[in-house]
Amino acid sequence: MSYPDPADEPVPPARPGVRPFLQSGPKHSTGGYTPTGEQPPVAAQTNTLRPFVITAGRTDGSDPDIGMETQVTMVLGAPPSRLSPETRAIVSLLEESPISIAEISARLRLHLGVCQILVGDLRAAGQVDVHVIDNDTPDPETIMRVIRGLRSIS
Amino acid sequence: MDFDPSANRVVGTARIPGAPAPKKAPVPVKIIVAGGFGVGKTTTVGAISEISPLTTEAEMTSESVGIDNPGQATMKTTTTIAMDFGVLTIDQTLKLYIFGTPGQTRFAFMWDDLVKGALGALVVVDTNRIDDCYPAVDYFERLGLPFVVGVNTFNGNMAYSLDEVRWALAVREDVPVISYDARFRASVRDALLIVLDQALDKAIKMKS
Repeated sequence: MSYPDPADEPVPPARPGVRPFLQSGPKHSTGGYTPTGEQPPVAAQTNTLRPFVITAGRTDGSDPDIGMETQVTMVLGAPPSRLSPETRAIVSLLEESPISIAEISARLRLHLGVCQILVGDLRAAGQVDVHVIDNDTPDPETIMRVIRGLRSIS
Repeated sequence: MDFDPSANRVVGTARIPGAPAPKKAPVPVKIIVAGGFGVGKTTTVGAISEISPLTTEAEMTSESVGIDNPGQATMKTTTTIAMDFGVLTIDQTLKLYIFGTPGQTRFAFMWDDLVKGALGALVVVDTNRIDDCYPAVDYFERLGLPFVVGVNTFNGNMAYSLDEVRWALAVREDVPVISYDARFRASVRDALLIVLDQALDKAIKMKS
């Protein structure tokens, strides 16, 4: 296996965004195949990108505990791994600081559900740590700290 | 490699000796800002956030969410909704997220995800369209999430007084109905502090 010289490689865009051919959604389908018998489900006609392409067909969140505000950190010294453009973009975001799922979603312009699945993949691959909070009910001490912090801003 | 993972951190924040190393992820907490369309949710989020509000899109289904039921996939109806959110770093170990969320009833399932673990909610009300906030009030009441009704005063004039708003919403006596101005940071901060007071009351009650 040979890899091109890094100097020859174009700089990967910081924001992979949506794959161009998905951007305009199904209404600009170039496909030659048109179903004749069954009508496609209504959901497939909505004009959005198709997130299931990026998640390899999965639509269920890998972990219901991964919430929007759940923090994700990079695993230092993780073994190199071949990553898709989207997952590589997630890892490179984490180099700066821990970041939430919602921020990943916003910065990469990926749907929230897609990010949850991809981050679950990265965790399974040992590339990132996902910091799931165990207790759902906030404790008074934490709330007090938020109150003190908010009061101190002007 | 001389990469220093702590280089990007906020400077000037006191670090308690023996506290977790800086690379440890902060604990996230969140507050929901809910209300009808165009009542000032994003303005509220933007006023308090230390970053300009980010938008995340979520594909929401009206059924089978979280249930492994691929056989019924075609029965789902999906809607893409956009949520604005902001961040406020309390200290190195604590981060406050403020999510502004659409208040329409049909997004109820997204709300379940959103409110999980939330401290409380601010329901933003425009006195010209009070009924826009009914779904949000209903939802938080049913869920038992502490919430505050915040009348956004836009230009300082309100079509109805706070008492009239309270009467229209028929919220419990212990639910604060306040006015604030979504454009000003101090005003939003005070509104959120009232939400946090409610959250604290509930947390203390649950603990005892």
